[in-house]
Amino acid sequence: MKKIIISLIIGITVSACSDFTELAPISNRNESAFYNTADDFIFGINASYAMLQQDGVYGRAYWTMFEMRADNTDQGPDQTGLARVFTDINQFTEDALNEQIDAAWTGSYRVIANCNVILDRIESIEIDATLKSQIIGEALFLRSLMYYHLAVAFGNIPLQLTAFVPGDVLVQTNADAVYTQLVGDLTTAETNLSAANAEVGRATKGAAATLLAKVLLTQGDKGGAAIVLERIISTYGYSLMDPYSDLWGVANENNGESIFEVQFISGGIGQGSAFTNDFSPSADLQTGEGFGRNRPTVTMQNSYEVNDLRFASSMGDTYVDGGGVTVTANYVRKFESNPPNGNDSDINFVVFRYSDVFLMYAEALGDSPAGYVEINKVRTRAGLPDIDGATPGTFDEKLLHERQVELAFENHRWADLLRFGVAAQKVNEAEPFIPVSAVRTLFLIPQRELDINSNFTQNSN
Amino acid sequence: MKKQLLMMLTLTLLAFISQDALAQGVTGKVTSSEDNNGVPGVNVLIKGTTRGVVTDFEGNYKIDVSSGDVLVFSFVGFNTQEVAVNNQGVINVVLEVDVQSLSEVIVVGYGTLAKVRVTGSVSSVSAERITEVPALTAEESLIGQVAGVQVLQTSGEPGANAVIRIRGSGSISAGNDPLYVVDGIPISKNLTSVGIQGGLNRRAGRFQVPPANPLATINPNDIQSIEVLKDASAAAIYGSRGANGVVIITTKKSSNSNKGVFSFNMFAGQHSVANKIDLMDAEQLIAYTRDARNNNYLSSVPGASISDPIGPGDRGNANYEMPESYINWDGTNTDWQDLLFQNAGVQSYNLSYGSPVNNKSTYYVSGGYFKQDGIIEGTSFERFNLLMNLNSELTDKLKLNLRLAPSVTNNNRKPVNSPYFARPPGIVYSGLVHSPTVKPYNADGSINQLDNQSYLGGGTTSASNPLAIIEAVSDNLFQFQTQASLGLSYEILPELTFTTFGGAYINIYDRNFYRANTLLYRTATEGEPYAQSSSSTEVNWLWENTLNYEKEVGDHYFNALGGLMMQKDVLSITQVEADNFPDDLVKTISGGQVFGGTSVREEWSLISALLRVNYTFKDKYLFTGTIRSDKSSRFGSNNQTGYFPSFSVGWRLNEESFLSSIEKISELKLRASWGQTGNFEIPNYGSVGLLSPANYNFNGQEINGIIQSTTPNPDLTWEKSSQIDLGVEFGMFNNRLFLLADYYRTVTSDLLLNVSITSVSGFSTALQNLGEVENKGFEFSLLTRNFVGDFTWETELNLSTNKNEVLSLNEKNEPIFSSGGAGVRHITRVGDPIGSYFGYVVEGIYQNDADITNSPVDTQAPDPSPGDFKFKDVDGDGQITPDDRTVTGSYFPDFTWGITNRFGYKGFDLSIFFQGVEGNEILNLTSRHLKNGEANFNSYAVFNDRWKSEADPGNGKIPRADRQTGNHGNNNRPSSFQVEDGSFFRLRSISLGYTLPLKNASIDKLRIYVSGNNLFTATDYLGYNPEVNNISTSSLTPGEDYGTYPLTKSFVFGVNFNF
Repeated sequence: MKKIIISLIIGITVSACSDFTELAPISNRNESAFYNTADDFIFGINASYAMLQQDGVYGRAYWTMFEMRADNTDQGPDQTGLARVFTDINQFTEDALNEQIDAAWTGSYRVIANCNVILDRIESIEIDATLKSQIIGEALFLRSLMYYHLAVAFGNIPLQLTAFVPGDVLVQTNADAVYTQLVGDLTTAETNLSAANAEVGRATKGAAATLLAKVLLTQGDKGGAAIVLERIISTYGYSLMDPYSDLWGVANENNGESIFEVQFISGGIGQGSAFTNDFSPSADLQTGEGFGRNRPTVTMQNSYEVNDLRFASSMGDTYVDGGGVTVTANYVRKFESNPPNGNDSDINFVVFRYSDVFLMYAEALGDSPAGYVEINKVRTRAGLPDIDGATPGTFDEKLLHERQVELAFENHRWADLLRFGVAAQKVNEAEPFIPVSAVRTLFLIPQRELDINSNFTQNSN
Repeated sequence: MKKQLLMMLTLTLLAFISQDALAQGVTGKVTSSEDNNGVPGVNVLIKGTTRGVVTDFEGNYKIDVSSGDVLVFSFVGFNTQEVAVNNQGVINVVLEVDVQSLSEVIVVGYGTLAKVRVTGSVSSVSAERITEVPALTAEESLIGQVAGVQVLQTSGEPGANAVIRIRGSGSISAGNDPLYVVDGIPISKNLTSVGIQGGLNRRAGRFQVPPANPLATINPNDIQSIEVLKDASAAAIYGSRGANGVVIITTKKSSNSNKGVFSFNMFAGQHSVANKIDLMDAEQLIAYTRDARNNNYLSSVPGASISDPIGPGDRGNANYEMPESYINWDGTNTDWQDLLFQNAGVQSYNLSYGSPVNNKSTYYVSGGYFKQDGIIEGTSFERFNLLMNLNSELTDKLKLNLRLAPSVTNNNRKPVNSPYFARPPGIVYSGLVHSPTVKPYNADGSINQLDNQSYLGGGTTSASNPLAIIEAVSDNLFQFQTQASLGLSYEILPELTFTTFGGAYINIYDRNFYRANTLLYRTATEGEPYAQSSSSTEVNWLWENTLNYEKEVGDHYFNALGGLMMQKDVLSITQVEADNFPDDLVKTISGGQVFGGTSVREEWSLISALLRVNYTFKDKYLFTGTIRSDKSSRFGSNNQTGYFPSFSVGWRLNEESFLSSIEKISELKLRASWGQTGNFEIPNYGSVGLLSPANYNFNGQEINGIIQSTTPNPDLTWEKSSQIDLGVEFGMFNNRLFLLADYYRTVTSDLLLNVSITSVSGFSTALQNLGEVENKGFEFSLLTRNFVGDFTWETELNLSTNKNEVLSLNEKNEPIFSSGGAGVRHITRVGDPIGSYFGYVVEGIYQNDADITNSPVDTQAPDPSPGDFKFKDVDGDGQITPDDRTVTGSYFPDFTWGITNRFGYKGFDLSIFFQGVEGNEILNLTSRHLKNGEANFNSYAVFNDRWKSEADPGNGKIPRADRQTGNHGNNNRPSSFQVEDGSFFRLRSISLGYTLPLKNASIDKLRIYVSGNNLFTATDYLGYNPEVNNISTSSLTPGEDYGTYPLTKSFVFGVNFNF
């Protein structure tokens, strides 16, 4: 009897238990059971786009690091709390614990890691070849977009090209090697992607090519860049919006000049943007929550030529407060909207647009009549007279100035200053209390990465 | 348990009584020394013969004797007594209770064991003790009763969760609640993973209401005993769930007497707030405000004069000026606390009936109703519960036990445990900060929300009218809980029993929160209507099969228990949210615009095998060994099975020849144990790489995106605790004096921590097992029976110490800084207790300018003046910097104690119970507003003793008033000033009862009593409750007071009636 009972119980228990403790998540998808179908990969790559909205990427950190760091903007009078973190970035006083650089590092690598997972897993999956090629192209573009920004900001970064496995030892790769990798990846991406996409906002051939040209220029390969830029101009069908004000506002998103935008929508679903609230001066919003951050410097303000049509669309210098009093203050206007709820705006962030292609082409062509022709295409739209070799200043100075006013507050400035080799000089001119010697070309690598990866070295310059 | 056995024996023996035709001889009555009641079933034997009788139901006996005989009175559970007859005709005998007799068995998990044979550290609390003080919940009855068990009353809210900590806290993030086993069904409170009891999506995480107590569904009247398994050797039988100790709750069964017993218990009474906070009245506040404005003005504006006009607009900055209503005070002096707290009723009724059906079966049924209204209007807790317990012998060898315990609770809550600026605002805190110059009601009787919500101008801060919050916010939590189990045991051999036991625990919650349009948030002019509806269902079932072998041969006693068991829990939660309610006519989701919802389903499972062996030789040398293996779905695939061994030994010296001759020593037992237990409260899918939605949009339409949101960790495992315990049990004078002492040391390792990993992985943290925490301490309990006989007096004293220390955290032992309600104010670092308070240390007050000059430069104080705090230069570098922040206290007490004195005389009984906690500190975050020196609203009255000048320095502990101290001395920074001593000494209960001397056969017992709870608390703590813990679900941020539901004191009247 005893034996029967025991064997019965053990039998039942053991047979029942082989799967009994193997419980898969019910309300979350599980990484080991995903990335099998075409839809899985579409949802997967969509998440990489979604991650561009993070505070650590286009949501916030990028404008602090690529605009406020440069001479275009500063933090303004409020320098407590979060604003202190911005001020440190603006004034080169940040330490390696600065939340924004940590957020930028973490946020950018979150996009990269997701692209790596997709690229790793899609390899062996049999799905429609066109779709597969498209997804690989998108993943390569988005990964390259992040690596370009990381390379510009931090210089020496781990170039992880496959999904990270715990125990992997990371090594720092210098920016040149990163750019070399990006040239290859972006060339593949441009091939794989389609010229236009029914889902407006997905990466296109034009987006990959624009970034490729930018990387080539950064590498100093002007000839290579010129070829890519000519291809964009001749085959991808972009056109300048005219007037310049037609570029801005929720109604004008994804226009004919737009090459790549980070898409935001309101509605309390976590996809609204905060630019309007961050940049608007206090109390200038329906929601009453403007912070006046990313404040254009006086130098920025003065760099607009008289009658430059771009000024009014780009920035304001006075506003009327709730009490009807006119207040003098600079603020960014490119991302104005009127969100019903704070930090939940429809307004997109424009990553690349066509006028940048002309200006990059001018840069690739160099000091030449053809170069001025490209610059003048942009100036004409701004209602300004043509310039040429006789106009005071060097070609580079004139080109850099044109880039500043044309592309102000669009996260190009810091990379431009570095590429033109004038970062310290320009920052010091705009913000004289920052000595030339204080201007470092590389951000500090976040301390937590140094703590975790003992072989990493901090940027010393 | 003892009573139960006693009654069972009585029944079997009574069968013989009636047939005994008694001849002439001796008569008498045998009574118990414990309660002076007759003892039925006592063996009365003539020494040296086999002739004897047993006492009847009243304890009476009659026996034929010769004058030279000696009568031997023996009964299980009592010391045997011999009386020479001589010529006596009546011999009445009082039997002494044998406290340590073999009959006293205690529940040890998957079985019972004679108390003398127990080698682990187990404390038992009997039904009498549980209902001695009219207890609202089962846990409350443990307050101050058991050494090593700290029961924290963190809130006085009806239905509030009592927090139990057994021998400290070993875990940083996996929870420190013990495992509860209710009639064989292990239930974890599991309050952290599920937000339904406390979670509101619209409320900031740090201001969530504390979870309601899932165990409040148990009726204390139905509890037979509560056993607490404290050491690892006792708890190891529960393996991966035993690390925080185990609380075993056993409910009543029929006492199996020869007749049915009705029992009716009720009490009713009134609660009121235990203490009011000492706040300023209107005149004091006005004087204080004037000081704060003048000091600010003088410190900030060169050439300012104190005699400058101070009215609105006079000094160019509101923070230098007084509100108009203070300058021309209209005499309003509102005591907001009086308006908030009401006297509230409490009532409890319980009717039970236990009866044998025939001599094969017994059943016990019980029904109860309990209702407690809160001292804040609109809060209440209500419970209906039923219990059915059926035991039946189907055959000689096959026994059945069926148990069914459904209950319904209905808990009405209000936002109380949160600060005045939370959404919705905390009621009590809003009342505390409200200026007494504000009228609570308008002239028409409506709640005053008109005059800008206490924003009076002149640098004051606004808060919502607390009466409006009470009126506008409702939060109802309905809980339906059922426990059901069926057990079958089969006696294979007399010494071998097989038991199969199946049970389930089902818990259904339904929660409805509504915030009405009528509530204006601080200075807002429009309401923020919002509703959230949540419901959850949890089904937890288990199936256990055990074989129990028990054999006593000569001096050897051997008991082995082996078992296989499986358990599974399935939980689903659904939530819907709505806002934009056009009016307050419909307060459910359907009245507004639905904007969000979610549905989550989770499971865990556990499969286990266990073996326990007890061996005793001559009841002198005791040995217990257990091992359990647990395999759980929660553990990573590389670590799915854990083994939890324990060993313990005992040596009863009183049985040794060298001590047995000393009659005064009735018990002397030494115990030693070692064991390993685990904490399996890791997230259900913590080891799995989860994916989460990360949606994007194209063409203005949201589209699906999915991304990995957690890292897989196939190595993820339970937290491990190793504990040694050394104990001694010492009884003298037939155990009239009984001392129990234990020392323990527990090291918890493989702590579950979110460890930083490289962001290149796409994540910044991963759940890993790292770090060690130590708890060690002493426990003493002393029971003395000072008087026995007509007048009885016994004293129970217990005292325990615990020291909590983090031994290691991670490879670099970097401290964990934690934010609770108000920024980083906690640190968990090696060498200090978990979640210690962290900040600057106040060293004194600058008395004059020279004092400032001669002190280290305070880089955190822009412009200090005499009267401002002098902070301590902890690192000695000659200046005050953030590096001077250090540990300023901890929520862990040095020791806790309780003392109960029970007196009995004739039918009267009196018990007086004191309880104390020493050496714990509270992080009083309300100090940020009520003790900030800024006079931006009302203040603790201690600021009446503020520093005013070098000649008038107040009590030397309170700085000067300054509306903008942040610009000057920065006195309000996180510091030891907000850390207050939470030690207290409390008259926990006093109760007086009278048992009517009824000679009516149909009434067994009728006792009436009055009882007072929490009548008196002595503490230096400024707030309501020196045990407060706003964020009780997080070990990293304990002991914060950021607005709390005050404790109550109560008077109740009750009746115990058995018939």
